[in-house]
Amino acid sequence: MTSVRPKLKPETPKSVTAWETATGRTVWLKADGSWTEDITQLGVFTGEEAEERLAAAARQEGLVTDPYFMEVTADGQITGRETLRESLRAHYSEGGFDGAPREQETA
Amino acid sequence: MYRYDQFDARIVAERVAQFRGQVARRLSGDILEDEFKPLRLQNGVYLQLHAYMLRIAIPYGQLNPVQLRRLAEVARDYDRGFGHFTTRQNIQFNWVALKDIPDVLEKLAEVEMHAIQTSGNCIRNTTTDHFAGAAQDELLDPRPWCEIIRQWSTFHPEFAFLPRKFKIAVTAAEHDRAAIRVHDVGLHIRQQDGITGFEVWVGGGQGRTPVIATLVNPFVPESQILDYLEAIMRVYNRYGRRDNKYKARIKILVTELGEAEYIRQVEEEFAAQRAHEKIDMPADEIARIHAYFAPPELAEKPAISQTLEAAKVSDPAFARWARINLHPHKVPGYASVTVSLKPIGIAPGDATDTQMELVADLAEKFGHGDIRVSHAQNLILPHVALDDLPEIYAALHAAGLSAANESRITDMIVCPGLDYCNLANARSIPVSLEVQKLFADPAYEEDIGRLHINVSGCINACGHHHVGHIGILGVDKKGEEFYQILLGGRADEKAALGTIVGPGLKAEQVPGAIHRVVEFYRAKRTSKDEKFIDTLERLGHQPFQEALYAAD
Repeated sequence: MTSVRPKLKPETPKSVTAWETATGRTVWLKADGSWTEDITQLGVFTGEEAEERLAAAARQEGLVTDPYFMEVTADGQITGRETLRESLRAHYSEGGFDGAPREQETA
Repeated sequence: MYRYDQFDARIVAERVAQFRGQVARRLSGDILEDEFKPLRLQNGVYLQLHAYMLRIAIPYGQLNPVQLRRLAEVARDYDRGFGHFTTRQNIQFNWVALKDIPDVLEKLAEVEMHAIQTSGNCIRNTTTDHFAGAAQDELLDPRPWCEIIRQWSTFHPEFAFLPRKFKIAVTAAEHDRAAIRVHDVGLHIRQQDGITGFEVWVGGGQGRTPVIATLVNPFVPESQILDYLEAIMRVYNRYGRRDNKYKARIKILVTELGEAEYIRQVEEEFAAQRAHEKIDMPADEIARIHAYFAPPELAEKPAISQTLEAAKVSDPAFARWARINLHPHKVPGYASVTVSLKPIGIAPGDATDTQMELVADLAEKFGHGDIRVSHAQNLILPHVALDDLPEIYAALHAAGLSAANESRITDMIVCPGLDYCNLANARSIPVSLEVQKLFADPAYEEDIGRLHINVSGCINACGHHHVGHIGILGVDKKGEEFYQILLGGRADEKAALGTIVGPGLKAEQVPGAIHRVVEFYRAKRTSKDEKFIDTLERLGHQPFQEALYAAD
C-alpha cells in the first residue's frame, strides 16, 4: 500500500499509525488502545507490546486500515528514515490544507 | 459532445449501486482492505498518503458547464474546496471520505460522469488534443474516435484484467499535443486516397523504463481500427508479463520481442481476427458517433477583431495574455483560450470550486458550452469569439486565472508528489513553486519563450519528467529529498527522452540551477525565435550541463 516500510528493531520506540477506514484520515494509536487524530497523543511502544498492539490494530479492519509501525523517539517525536513522509501525514492531519489552493507549506 | 443513451445511464447507475454496497460492507468490516482494494480501484478510489483520493474520468478531457459545476460542488461539499486536474485529462479529489464516495458517484452519474477506467489494469481514459475540433492545424476532429474507443474498451470482458494499465492517445494534428509517442498505443489520424485511417504507434511510455513508441503500422483504415486494437491487446494480454509489475507494460513486451517479431504477431492476430470475427464498424454507426461532435454554429466574423485590437493597445497585461494563451481556431474570428491553472504560488493543476464555476459560466456565456482539460493540467475554452476576449480576460483576472504562461516555463506539469502520493519519494509541488518564483516576471518569462518543465516526485513519472525540455525527478537518498535534472525531453511529434545530466541536487539548489540553464540558453540562442529545445539540440547537452552545475 505504501512505499517500502523500514523494519524497526524491537527496542526501537514506535507508534502505530493507520488510516481511519470511513474517512481515510490519519490516526495514531493511543496508549489506552483508542485512536486519535492528534499526533501529540500517540502512544509509544517497544518490544513485544508493540507487536501485540500492531496485531490488535490489524484486527480492527472496519475501523482502521493498514496499520503499521512509525518510528518515534521515546517522547513521541517522529524520527528515522520516514521522518519526512510521516511529518507530512501529521501536518496535513492538522488541516495543513484547509481549503483553497494556496502556497504550499513545508512540513 | 457525446450524450449518454439508456444503456450508458443504466450501466453507470448500476455501478454506483454496486459500489455503495461494497463500501457498506467495507465499513461494517464484512470485507477486508485486501478484498476491497481491487473493488475500490475499479471505481477510481485510491488510499493515498493521508486520505482517500477519488479520480473522476473526463473522457478525452471534455466537459460541459453542468459537469464542471458538479465537480465544483463535489470540491465544496465533499473535499476541501478544490480539485486537481491530471495529465490524463481527469480530475482528482484528495480528501474525500470513503463513506461519502457512493453519494459523490451518484451525483456525478446524474450529469453523465463516473470514475470507471481511472485506475486498475484496464484501458484507461483515452486522451487527445485539447484543441480537438477547433485547431486550425488538425486534419479531422479526433474526439469521435476517442468516444468509439471508449465505448469499445469500457468493460471489455477480454481486457478487464490486463498485465498492467493501458493508455491510448489520439491526435489528428501534425503538431502532436497529445503526446502519442509516449503512450501504450498512440493513434495519429491520417488520410490516404480519400480514406481516413490511423498511423499506429505502440509501446511508448514513461515510468521507470521510458520508451518512445514503435511505429507498427503506417495506415489502418478507420473501419478496421477496432480489429487492429484488439490484435494489439490480445498479443499483449497473452504475452505481457504478469510476474513482475515493473516489467508488465506493453513497452517491455515490444522491447523483449523486438519490433519485427512484435509486429509480426500483431499482424498475424489481426489477420486471424479479420478472417473469423471481424468487427468492422458500420459507416452509419461511425456517422452516428460523429454527429455528437458536430462543430458549434459559429457566426461569421472578420478575422481581425477591432475590439480585441483596441483592448490590446490599452492593456499591456491583456495583450501579453492574448499573445500567449490563445491558439488559432479553424474559423476566422475565433480562438481557443487556455485558462492557465499555473498562477505563481499555486499547486499546478489545482482549481477551486469558485474558479471551476467561473469557467463553467464563461463557457456557457462565451464558449458554446465546451470546456477541455489539457494534459498539461490547464482548462481550455476551445471556441471563443475574439470580440469576447477582453470580457473573458477580465473575469479570469478577477478570479486569479489570468496567468499568461501557456507552454512557458511556469506552466509546469507537476505530479502531486509526496505532499499527497503514497508512492512518491519526494515533494514535487514545493520545488516547482520555488522554480516558478524565479520566473514570475511576465516580461522575463515571455522573453524566454516556449519551455516545458515537467516535475515528478518519483520514478513512476506521473509528472512526465522524461519528456520535459527540462525534467525534474525527485528521489530519496537516506530519507532526504534530492532532485535529478534531465535535459532534452519532448512529447511532441519529435518525441525524445531527456537524459539525466549529473548528480542530484538538494531542493534549494534546483531553482538556481534551472535559472543558470535558462540564462545560458538566452545567451546562446541565435534569436528569440530559436526555442530552448532547439538551442539545446543544436549545441548538445554538455554546455547546458556545465551551466547547470556551474555554481555548485
